Formats: sequence, structure tokens, C-alpha cells
Amino acid sequence: MQELGAAHELYSRDEARAEVSSGAGIEIKQLSAFYGQKQALYDVNLSVRPYQVTAIIGPSGCGKSTLIRCINRMHELVPDAYVTGQVMLEGVDIYGGSLDPTEVRRRIGMVFQKPNPFPNMSVSDNVVAGLKLNGVRNKSKLAEAARRCLERVYLWDEVKDDLKRSGASLSGGQQQRLCIARALAVEPEVLLMDEPCSALDPIATAKIEELVAELKSQYTVVIVTHNMQQASRVADYTAFMYLGKLVEFDKTTTIFENPKEQLTERYVTGKFG
Amino acid sequence: MARLMDMGLEKLNTLLLEMSTISENAVATSIQAYSRGGKADEVREWSARLQTLHRQVSDLSMELIARFQPVASDLRFVMACFEISYGFYRFGRYALDIVEVLEEFGDLSKCDHKAVVQTARDTQEMIRMSVDAFARRDVTLGKQIREREDVVDDSYRKVVRSVINQKKDVKCALSATLILRYLERIADHAVYIAESVEYIVTGVEPK
Repeated sequence: MQELGAAHELYSRDEARAEVSSGAGIEIKQLSAFYGQKQALYDVNLSVRPYQVTAIIGPSGCGKSTLIRCINRMHELVPDAYVTGQVMLEGVDIYGGSLDPTEVRRRIGMVFQKPNPFPNMSVSDNVVAGLKLNGVRNKSKLAEAARRCLERVYLWDEVKDDLKRSGASLSGGQQQRLCIARALAVEPEVLLMDEPCSALDPIATAKIEELVAELKSQYTVVIVTHNMQQASRVADYTAFMYLGKLVEFDKTTTIFENPKEQLTERYVTGKFG
Repeated sequence: MARLMDMGLEKLNTLLLEMSTISENAVATSIQAYSRGGKADEVREWSARLQTLHRQVSDLSMELIARFQPVASDLRFVMACFEISYGFYRFGRYALDIVEVLEEFGDLSKCDHKAVVQTARDTQEMIRMSVDAFARRDVTLGKQIREREDVVDDSYRKVVRSVINQKKDVKCALSATLILRYLERIADHAVYIAESVEYIVTGVEPK
């Protein structure tokens, strides 16, 4: 038991930084989400710590993907879908009207379950697609950004000899790292990941997890996962959701060692779900 | 439907209950041999058996962690079982130490057994309560066990002080001191077991 205590120290050494830093944190207040008549989220309040990894776990249909899609205004892209409540990014409500949804999605990037590189684009064009859309035309700037982002996701060494090959020709794990590089190219503050490893093998999964742990030095990361071990490995904080409600949110060690709510205890120990 | 891990957790529970019975018997038999005389050869065998069982608990705990990555109350149970198993193993080892004192010192029938027998009664009660605490996951027994530990500690210190001032009857005094020392260690482990049970149930380690 003492040893476990020591391990806590090992993994929570970045907390001091999170406490003093105010940038790139997200405050979710009284957030409800709807698909037409159907309510998918109920009054969610959640404080996403800056420069930390926050995992959202829960059984299928609990609203975890809906929640993450509300954080960068993707939820409203579904016909008839809408939200009530607030999502504050650095003190500004992203639904408040002062921020353009496209700007929100630039500042809060998203990586999806299935790697989705643009199939008819080369590896390097995939990375800088967002930059080009934002009007960057300078070739050397684009090449430099592509290299920087590919290095950031540890893909550079694997693709540098043939940057013109199609993004779709890479392995699943490489494709997912390419998508992360693409998300990073537009220099977001927050990175949302919706089950980013569910289509990957264990080795590719481990690489993404190592990358996530590294990325938090520069980005606030929110990851939806149905793999509880993944949440316990990569996340500093974990939120447990059930039937559209946030049941418990705490440090990951607390959620997986001594959860306060009986429902969380039953879910993480595999007694339901 | 039972979880795959449940079979292993149940096996851990069974191993610990077997250890609790053996360790209780070992301490009782060693103290009986002191107060009434006679042999206690079975204690050696029981102590070895407890060591084997402790190793099995250790192996099984490791396997459960490696294969099933237990969390929450499952994780606390596995971690605490290892601690509790060590406690039962130590009960057996101290019982054997007591038997070895008897073998070394020979006939102690002329000695005054009162202090040791009284302390042994308290210690055995502590063992029984720690076993009950585990079997029933009862956190209320922890307080009673800790109170009795103070009594055992006092008794040990009293005898040590009297031995320091004593000129004669070294054999009786020394044997009583050694045995009391082992009882005092047993009492400590009974407290650790109760604390491990508190950790399983509440998730909080007692101060």
C-alpha cells in the first residue's frame, strides 16, 4: 500500500503546473445536449484541467462522445441537434456568440475513432491541409510545419523518405498519428480524442498512449475511451458518465482505487456495463 | 455471470481463511506448551505450511494483477490480502519462536506463568478479532484490537523492567521476556490485519 502511494507521486508530478496555469482549461457548466426531442446530456458540470489528460469513460450510449463533441461545437453539425449551458474556454463561452465555430474548432482540435486521413492527399499534404484552408501558401513554411508536426507525433522517421505517398497507404497506427499531426498543425490549445485507439492493435495503441502522455506538456487533452485500462494508464483525471449524467469526476487514481460513488465502483470493477 | 477474476479473488479468500485457522492454532498450542508443559512439534509443521500458503497468496496476487488489472475494491482487496497473509505467516513464525524458547530453556514448570498467560490471552483474543475482522470485513473491530495492543505493550514493558532489576531466577525471567516479546509482535500484526480490512472496506489507510 505504501508502494502505491509512492507511485501516485510519480505520475502526478505535473500537477503543480496545472494548478498555477490558467490557460487552455475548459469549464463545462450546466451543459445539456439534445438530438431533436431526445436529451443525451443532463446538466453536466465539469472542470477540465489545463495541460492534463482527462478521460471520459462510461458504457455505450452514456453520452461520452456527445459530451466531447459539444466541447468543440461539432454536436450541432447533426441535424436538429442543439445544446444548452456553457462551455468556457479561457473564460469565454464558446456558445456565447463572440467566437466563430470554425475558430473554436481550430483552437479545440479533434481526433476520431477511425483514422481518417484524406485518401487522395499525400502524407505531407494531409498534415498541412488545415493550414492551407487557413490561407497559408508559403511552401517552405508548409514543409516546415509538416516536418515539425510529424516529428511531434513520432511519425517523421517512418515517412520522411516518401512524403508524397498517399496518407491512406500507411498502417492504421501511422494513419492515426498522421491525423493527430494534422490536428496539431493548426496549433490548437486543446486536443479532443474520441476513442482514438479502438481501431488499432496493442502496439499502435501503446504508441498513441505514449504520445498522449507527451502532448499534455503543450496541450490540454480530453480522451473518450471505452477501454478503462487506457483511462487508468493515460489520464490524470477521469470522468465517469452514465445515462447522460456525470456520475463522478476525480483524479484517475481515486476513480480506480477508491471511487466515491457505488455506480462508479460497479462500473470500473466490471460488475455492469 | 461471474467475472473471470472472481475465481481468483475467491481462492485468495479461501487461502487466507485456511491461514487464519492454522495461525490461531499455532499460537494457542505454543502458549499451552509453555503454561502446561509438553511438546508442540506440530507448530513447526504449521509454521512451514503458513510460509507455503503466504507464497501462494503472493503468487496469486501477482497473477491477478498481471492478468486482470483489478481496480477499486478489487485492487484494495488484492493488495490487502498480501499484507494480511504476511500477518498470518508471522503469527505462525512467532509461535515457532516461542516453541524454540521452550526447547532451549527446558523445564519451566517452576516459573510463575501468570504474566505471560494473561498477555497470551489478550494476544489470542486480538488474533481472533483480526480473523473475524477479515472474515466479516468488519471495520468496527479495529478500535478494540488497538486498545488491547496497548495492554500487551504495557505488560511487555513491565516484565522487561522487572527483569532489569531482578538478581535471581534468570531462566524464568528471560524466557518470559522472550515469549512476551513474540506476543507483542503478534499483537502488532493483529493490528496490521485489522487495518488492512479497514483499507479494503473504506479505501482509507488508518493513521
